[in-house]
Amino acid sequence: MLDILVIIFMVMGLFFFFGTTVGIVRFPDFYTRTHAAGKGDTLSVMLMLFGLALYNLHHLSPATLLVSGKIVIICVVVFIASPTATHAIMDAGYEAKVRHWSRPGAPKDPQDNSGEKQ
Amino acid sequence: MKKTALLIIAVLGILLLRAAEDLPFWGDPQSPASVHLSDYYLEESYEETSVPNIVTSVLADYRGYDTMFETVVIFCAGITVLIVLRRTHRRRAKVISPRPERPGADIILQTAARLLVPMMQLFALYVVAHGHHSPGGGFQGGVILGSSLILLALSYDIQMALHRFKEKLVLLFSAGGVLLYAAIGLACLFLGRNFLAYGAWAALLGISEPEAHSHGMLGVEIGVAITVLCIMFSLYIDLASGGDLDEGL
Repeated sequence: MLDILVIIFMVMGLFFFFGTTVGIVRFPDFYTRTHAAGKGDTLSVMLMLFGLALYNLHHLSPATLLVSGKIVIICVVVFIASPTATHAIMDAGYEAKVRHWSRPGAPKDPQDNSGEKQ
Repeated sequence: MKKTALLIIAVLGILLLRAAEDLPFWGDPQSPASVHLSDYYLEESYEETSVPNIVTSVLADYRGYDTMFETVVIFCAGITVLIVLRRTHRRRAKVISPRPERPGADIILQTAARLLVPMMQLFALYVVAHGHHSPGGGFQGGVILGSSLILLALSYDIQMALHRFKEKLVLLFSAGGVLLYAAIGLACLFLGRNFLAYGAWAALLGISEPEAHSHGMLGVEIGVAITVLCIMFSLYIDLASGGDLDEGL
């Protein structure tokens, strides 16, 4: 029963990691790529770590509970730190006026000031 | 000039390669490093120092002298950066350093920093204190402590971090950490032993000699951590603000 849960968590983590990788490789510009890295990475790391924490509870004892607790704390830290770092990187990119991608032939956004400095 | 430099580098490189031929192979049990001392450390260090982590006992006890001067090297590096970069009011007028304006504060970064900094500092203290039992110790803990302050300076601004930890205090403590290390060693000298022979503290503290070694190591690790913390922070504030300590990145 526990094994099934662990497998579900790990496979979901792998799935989102795969999605992250595809996103980083295939998305067209800096913003969308950072977006994929920040979102998918956080979720998949948390899922996989949670799966490992569950797997560790096969033998229920204070020692394994302690280890699982530490893994859950790592989850919390990743949950806070990873999206914040992504936000900071993207903010820095916006301030440095990195050009964003738009569909070829799309009308130019009048409020778009990101393309002034190439 | 370029050709001379190339020639010197080539000669030195050939010398280095020739010298490297004589080095023992990786993990060779007959190599000098593994023959004389390793067995002794592996067998006796726990008896002598009551520290399970042999790396820590070698680093902070058997080779405490070496580690003390490593700390001094870090201190000197920090002071050198300070001398080169730090700009007083008099020198500032001569140098123009335009920096991009950074409007506004970022509430997301500040909230995350607020949440993370206490965790980092608690973990750093754990790393410093737990170096006897697990990987860790003064250098690593000091770096984590320093980066928590740098995070504060990054997400708010340098002024805010400096308000919490004044520059004078930073420099005072960076010297104080090294001095704490040396003082612990010097006290052993006054108690009738060699420099940094922590066993001398046993009679004073009323504990067995191995425990005195353990406590002495903890003391010098704390000294190392204080120095590394202050030098990390000092390096950041000088490098990020170009020596002005006003706004930074």
